[in-house]
Amino acid sequence: MSNILEIKGLSAGYGPLQVIHDLDLIIQSGERVGIVGLNGHGKTTLFYAIAGLTHWQRGSIRISGKEIGRTRSQGPGRYTHIVVKEGLAIMPQGDEIFHGLTVEEHLDSGAFTPESWKNRKQKREEILEIFEPLKKLIHTPVGRLSGGERRMVSIGRGMMSEAKLYMADEPTLGLAPKIGKGVLEALLKINLKDSAMIIAEQNVALLEGKVDRIIGMHAGKLKGEASSSLSMGLKN
Amino acid sequence: MNDIIFLIINGITVASIYGLIAVAVSITWSALGLLNLSYGFIFSFAGYGAWLAERYLYGEPIFVMFMGIAAGIVGSVMVCLLVFIPVHDKPNFTIRGMIGTLAISLIGGQVLLQNFGPKAKLLPEFFGYGKVKILDITITADKIGIICSSIIMLIIVVRWMKSSRRGLEIRAMMMNPHAASIVGIGVRKTGIYVMAVTGAMTGLAAVLLSQTYYLSPFSGLTPMIKGVSIALMGGLGSVRGAVIASIILGFNEAITSKFLGGRYVLMTQFLLIIIVLIIRPRGISGILDKAREA
Repeated sequence: MSNILEIKGLSAGYGPLQVIHDLDLIIQSGERVGIVGLNGHGKTTLFYAIAGLTHWQRGSIRISGKEIGRTRSQGPGRYTHIVVKEGLAIMPQGDEIFHGLTVEEHLDSGAFTPESWKNRKQKREEILEIFEPLKKLIHTPVGRLSGGERRMVSIGRGMMSEAKLYMADEPTLGLAPKIGKGVLEALLKINLKDSAMIIAEQNVALLEGKVDRIIGMHAGKLKGEASSSLSMGLKN
Repeated sequence: MNDIIFLIINGITVASIYGLIAVAVSITWSALGLLNLSYGFIFSFAGYGAWLAERYLYGEPIFVMFMGIAAGIVGSVMVCLLVFIPVHDKPNFTIRGMIGTLAISLIGGQVLLQNFGPKAKLLPEFFGYGKVKILDITITADKIGIICSSIIMLIIVVRWMKSSRRGLEIRAMMMNPHAASIVGIGVRKTGIYVMAVTGAMTGLAAVLLSQTYYLSPFSGLTPMIKGVSIALMGGLGSVRGAVIASIILGFNEAITSKFLGGRYVLMTQFLLIIIVLIIRPRGISGILDKAREA
């Protein structure tokens, strides 16, 4: 087992606001990790910091040993596309979609490595097997889909490339419980092989027993850790 | 009757040239968030490129035309490197980009003036002086050539945007730059592609217009103003909107210059644009949009 993600002393924020405080995290290959915490405690910001989308950050972030964190003070997103190409599949919160592209094109846009671009047809088929409802919507603009369908597209987009680290930010947010559960299950179906996955969630019950570890997040720090089955004992 | 058809053909000819610039303005705006006011310079730059090629290299019209397009690409990528890449992630980018490209347009015009002098240059007639007679109406080869070559250019660009990977990246960035960076689409690299494609369109517009009229260091300003206003009327960012708007304004130009006189063209044009924008603040594309945003 090797370390896929290694974060040391990470602080990050927006303007004068510091959201992440001196955070350490190690995730090994093959692991599924859940990060739970309330709104506004830094789950999304942690993802953004890994992707280089925060306004400023300092500390070390390594993906498979390669340093992608750096001290940055301006230009959120300036290096994101380079960082992403190191093997990040980001499934962002909410509607980070391309509303005018069809479902097919939208999935293709996630195939950012040359290899996955070549195999995009086959990948698309695989993803449609997981997200059955998208099959008959394949030529519909994403802007016309419902919330749940959009989330499926957004997660499917993240699955198009062979990534080292999958990061799903509140995949069930705003969805009806049944649909949300379906989306989460599809996410857990991804065959990790040597990669790893982080899922941020507010609802611990949804992740219980389905991930290898659950880590709590509070006020920009990671607090408490439990193996998934013991998650009810999650405390500081 | 003949008069009307003549007007229609004139309208379409004008529309196809300005339409190229309008679509270029529209694509740059929505993909890069840059209201590029340097198309005036790129236009003249491409024209002079074609002129130099004709004079010193080879006079075959089709070659001159391609050299004009190539010069347009070079000029446009130059603007991208000089303005877009340095300021695109700085605060107030929209205003800075507008001022920067306008500056390039003015400075570039002066540089051209210094090197080539104020005397207007002529490009060869690309499509010859032939005439086609259809049902009592004579259409010059020139007009047919202009209309066909702009339509071919537009089709190539639209097809490329629809089917290639770079096109997909550009369209993704047009719709949601933030999400685009998440899927590994780099703004700067895509910016160069966008500017190269729009430069090629401007280059074609430049050679087409310069061979009918003439070429001077600032001859690109009027087409640029028209291109930007057509893009505004079509709804910035929409290719279809820009095409429809350019046809409407092309007819307007033909009709106004026939019945009121050429000096009233800009007046009626802006009147029309204002009316459309009052009724549809997002321009014509506001009517066309089917997908809901965000």
